[in-house]
Amino acid sequence: MVNVYRPASLVEALGFLRQNRAVPLAGGTDLMVQHRRSSGCTPSFGLPVLFIGHLDELKAMHAEKQTLRIGAACTYSDLLRWSELPDEFRTVISQIASPAIRNRGTVGGNVCNASPAGDTLPYLYALNAQAVVSNAEGNRLVPVSTLITGPGQTALEQGELLTGFLVPRTRFSTFFYKKVGSRRANSCSKLSFLGLARVKGNELRDVRICFGAVAPRVVRSPETEAWLSGRKTQEIDEMVPQIRAAYARLIRPIEDQRCTLRYRNEISLRLLEYFLGTLAGSKR
Amino acid sequence: MNETISDATDRPDAPDKIGGTAAYVADLSFEGMLHARTLRSSRSHARITSIEFPDLPHGCFIVDRHDVPGVNRVRMITDDQPFFAEELVRYIGEPILLVVGPDRERIDETLGKIRVSYEEISPVCTLEEAEKRGSDGCFISYEISKGSAEQAFAGAWKTYQGEYRTGLQEHVYLEPQGVVGLYENGRVTVYGSMQCPYYVKSALIQGLGLSEERIRVVQSTTGGAFGGKEDYPSIIAGHVAFAAMKIQKPVRLVLDREEDVICTTKRHPSVIRIQSAVDERRTVIGMQVDITLDGGAYEGLSSVVLQRAMFAASGVYRVNDVQVKGRVLRTNTVPTGAFRGFGGPQAIFAIEMHMHSIAEKLGEDPLEFKLRHLLRQGDSTVTGGKLRERIRMPEMVKRVCELSGYSDKAKEFRKEAKRSDAPLHGSGHRSDSEEPKGEKLRGVGISFFSHGCAFTGSGEKDKIKARVKLRKSQDGSVEILVSNVEFGQGPMTTLRKIVARTLGVPLDEVLYRNPDTDRVPDSGPTVASRTVMIVGKLLDRAARDLKERWRSGEEIEVSADYEQPPRIEWDQEHFRGDAYPVYSWGTNVVEVEIDPVTYEILITGVWGVYDVGRAIDERILRGQIEGGVAQGLGYSTMEVMQSRMGAILQHSIADYVIPTSLDFPKTEIDFLNAPYAHGPYGAKCAGELPFIGAAPAVAAAVQSALGVQVNRIPVTPEYLLEIVKDEALSER
Amino acid sequence: MKLCLNVNGEDYHIETDPLRRLLDVLREDLNLTGVKEGCGEGECGACSVFMDGRIVNSCLVPVLSAHGTRILTIEGFSKTQRFHVLSESFEEAGAVQCGFCTPGFILAAEALLRENPQPTESEIRNALSGNLCRCTGYSSIVEAVMIASRKGKGLW
Repeated sequence: MVNVYRPASLVEALGFLRQNRAVPLAGGTDLMVQHRRSSGCTPSFGLPVLFIGHLDELKAMHAEKQTLRIGAACTYSDLLRWSELPDEFRTVISQIASPAIRNRGTVGGNVCNASPAGDTLPYLYALNAQAVVSNAEGNRLVPVSTLITGPGQTALEQGELLTGFLVPRTRFSTFFYKKVGSRRANSCSKLSFLGLARVKGNELRDVRICFGAVAPRVVRSPETEAWLSGRKTQEIDEMVPQIRAAYARLIRPIEDQRCTLRYRNEISLRLLEYFLGTLAGSKR
Repeated sequence: MNETISDATDRPDAPDKIGGTAAYVADLSFEGMLHARTLRSSRSHARITSIEFPDLPHGCFIVDRHDVPGVNRVRMITDDQPFFAEELVRYIGEPILLVVGPDRERIDETLGKIRVSYEEISPVCTLEEAEKRGSDGCFISYEISKGSAEQAFAGAWKTYQGEYRTGLQEHVYLEPQGVVGLYENGRVTVYGSMQCPYYVKSALIQGLGLSEERIRVVQSTTGGAFGGKEDYPSIIAGHVAFAAMKIQKPVRLVLDREEDVICTTKRHPSVIRIQSAVDERRTVIGMQVDITLDGGAYEGLSSVVLQRAMFAASGVYRVNDVQVKGRVLRTNTVPTGAFRGFGGPQAIFAIEMHMHSIAEKLGEDPLEFKLRHLLRQGDSTVTGGKLRERIRMPEMVKRVCELSGYSDKAKEFRKEAKRSDAPLHGSGHRSDSEEPKGEKLRGVGISFFSHGCAFTGSGEKDKIKARVKLRKSQDGSVEILVSNVEFGQGPMTTLRKIVARTLGVPLDEVLYRNPDTDRVPDSGPTVASRTVMIVGKLLDRAARDLKERWRSGEEIEVSADYEQPPRIEWDQEHFRGDAYPVYSWGTNVVEVEIDPVTYEILITGVWGVYDVGRAIDERILRGQIEGGVAQGLGYSTMEVMQSRMGAILQHSIADYVIPTSLDFPKTEIDFLNAPYAHGPYGAKCAGELPFIGAAPAVAAAVQSALGVQVNRIPVTPEYLLEIVKDEALSER
Repeated sequence: MKLCLNVNGEDYHIETDPLRRLLDVLREDLNLTGVKEGCGEGECGACSVFMDGRIVNSCLVPVLSAHGTRILTIEGFSKTQRFHVLSESFEEAGAVQCGFCTPGFILAAEALLRENPQPTESEIRNALSGNLCRCTGYSSIVEAVMIASRKGKGLW
């Protein structure tokens, strides 16, 4: 019984996956916690573990004209050291966990873990990032928002491996990100809000709004965004109640050991209102 | 030799700790050593109807209640707790048996295959439920009074009342609990991470049914304790001792962190109701305090925790007519126990918030109001004891206000609060995910607190009867022989400094090893902030004796026994007189900024001024203060531990969070260094005091910032959302 | 599985389950008990080691991931001049109480000073944010790193 497989190349890895169900492991910072047993005992995975964290093909980072290509096994630290990393993504990543975890954890892992509180997810959704999904036959592109189907669930099929991301190099004039944790460092997200916009003069172009940890998946409303984009900034104030109501219908926060339902519900919407106020440029 | 004893000295334990060569219990190994893991109750209250075992792998053993050679009761104050559960389990996590063997993988598998059948019994999971049970739901209750609260209330101009709540707190010492048990030549030896080697020894005597010379307990380098390793180690020491005796091999048991979080003792949650009678001069003339603590499933140290809470009920204030009622209730949750402050923090939180609120209601500055009521030298305590020493609080408060700018800030923040409806607003420009620029709500709070030094009541005289020894070798080195342990708080340095100075010998000729009951007398437990003041004083006396008898080249041993100072009078039956020989005092100021959108609390400044007598080592004292304050700040803001149906919800340290380096600013500290005549070189107690003042100062600051009563800790953003009136803060 | 790790400058060829935690391999197979287990879930940093120059929580690293890498533990680091400066600085600042977290903090400080020999207080607090201490309240540790960066000019 093979309990691990360490391929020499991506091709080998995909070949293995074609024949075997396996758990891909890059940094292991989520998997080693989830599968841990008592002290001194080997973590128990159930399926063979496919080690991919060492594969150079999965660690490449390229900045093309319109798109960033990021390998799925790039660690957060790799990304933070990359000069082409967009400032907004840098802000999000630098609030993940701790320096030691960032030296091992990967964006691919964060996406495949598909936690409702996954730190990279609101950003990837907002940017319309695409996942590169590969198998022995070839690659396909899947929007990250489609790839994640529920808490801990992805649409990866047998034989498929998440190998990278394509992130559009969209420029925004306004960025607001707030992750509410239980303390100021190294904390799981109780809830998060991410807002981006391009404002030209007094016109809103291209608004993106995402909520994290307040529903089984990231909450985003393309209809509301479309409706907002194209408005004038002076129109926003009177629209806030409607917009708030629209998102209030979409978020489905829960109560758990980290946070109350009421807090998640209320504060995420207040952050939305705050962001809208920023767009409106409202004064005291 | 140093100028003054207070000057910082090198810690002898530091190099090994820094280099990773210090041996904690998980680093110890013995030939043939086996590992042990514990099968624990998954029910909060049940009868065990059967336990089915799989075939045991070769070399694997079960150790349970049938393997207890002596009495299956852990020696504490009331011996109600079994080492291993018998028919009944009373809390989730209660130990039922050990699986012991050479291979941890096999042990883990075996544990997973053991099937325990339970017949559930309706559990009592909350204080409200326990109250309904009357005396069945209550471990212990006391009542004390001074003067006549009834009369005071009859003559009151106004009365005020409040109910204050504090929650569970877990120690999260970085080193999880652990012990190793050995059985050789008819003797049992237990090594372990612990505060009280002789508590463990007594528990083993009772559990093993062996006489004391057949039992040896040795403290291993201990990675933090804070009270969490006061009584709990007795339980696991028994476990490995039974296992070692049965199997005739060394057995090591080290708790996993989650296991430690779920199963070991916690700080007692409290509900404290205070009623105060105020006269026309706006002075509190009478008080009724009602204290309820949650003792969990077994009594443990609860009676003494309750006593300390009751004796601290009126805080640092002069109230001549007081009635204090207290009780510890029994619930089917993890047994609560000792944690830095030991009942004091709960009581002080309540009285501080109560006084703060009365001041606000009277339209008076809380600082001035509290100052007016401060105890003075010659006043009596709530138990009618005499405050013989000068109380330096007024100068300390002046100093902390100077350092913090308290008064100006209080005024400024009050104006801010009146001026703004705290609307939300953004900048309209690229705000690179900074904190929302809505006007942050600022507040500043001040707390006054004290801690009775050393053991409550007659404990030193009647229970502990401490003895210390000094052994001079032929080569002139002197070894300190005490049962008190180093767990980070510095006695390996401070006690040696006392002895060295008294003897007039170089510090590095004074030795102090991890205590081994074969070699050291019982100088009492390392608790109650007694180590420097009581044990240090005894060592000072022994050192004087040794100095007189000193002869070069000779081996000399001297001992000294505790003597109650004649001026201390205490009636343990009626709780009357001097509950403590002396008090240490403190005052904290905390400044906060509250995010109006998320209600997150940012602590922007912390100041503390302390009177602990003379500092035996200033650097160590600073460390105790900074660490105690950090724990208090965590207790009051982020350390959330909730229990539903007896199950702890935050059972990993990813969910039960303690402060990181990014959470709080440095505490600005000053201490008076004013000597106490009866302490060694003038020292009083210092270990627990710094914890106490942080929480009420935080709560007072939040209360000031938001204009709402903060009656509960931890003060979380979720709690603030519940209590703040939304109209005041949302953008409309 | 047969694996090769370079630990503290020496090559070790071991045969073990590739999914075992690096923490356990270091502590039990190589007797490097300076690497501590404080939580087993990557929260406390007491198990910190360097792996190919980057600080990681060894409780979360399957030993196969460490195959072919260079590992540095507190035992190895304690033989360096940088360690001595850090060690003196920790003592001077009073940053050692129970000591259980200390090796992890020493390595976290080293990780920071390698990248940033003259850090600000804020940068220090950030770099240490993955290490928990329950005894000190962190200020003395932060000060220790400031002292080391001053004293160790030229070393980092």
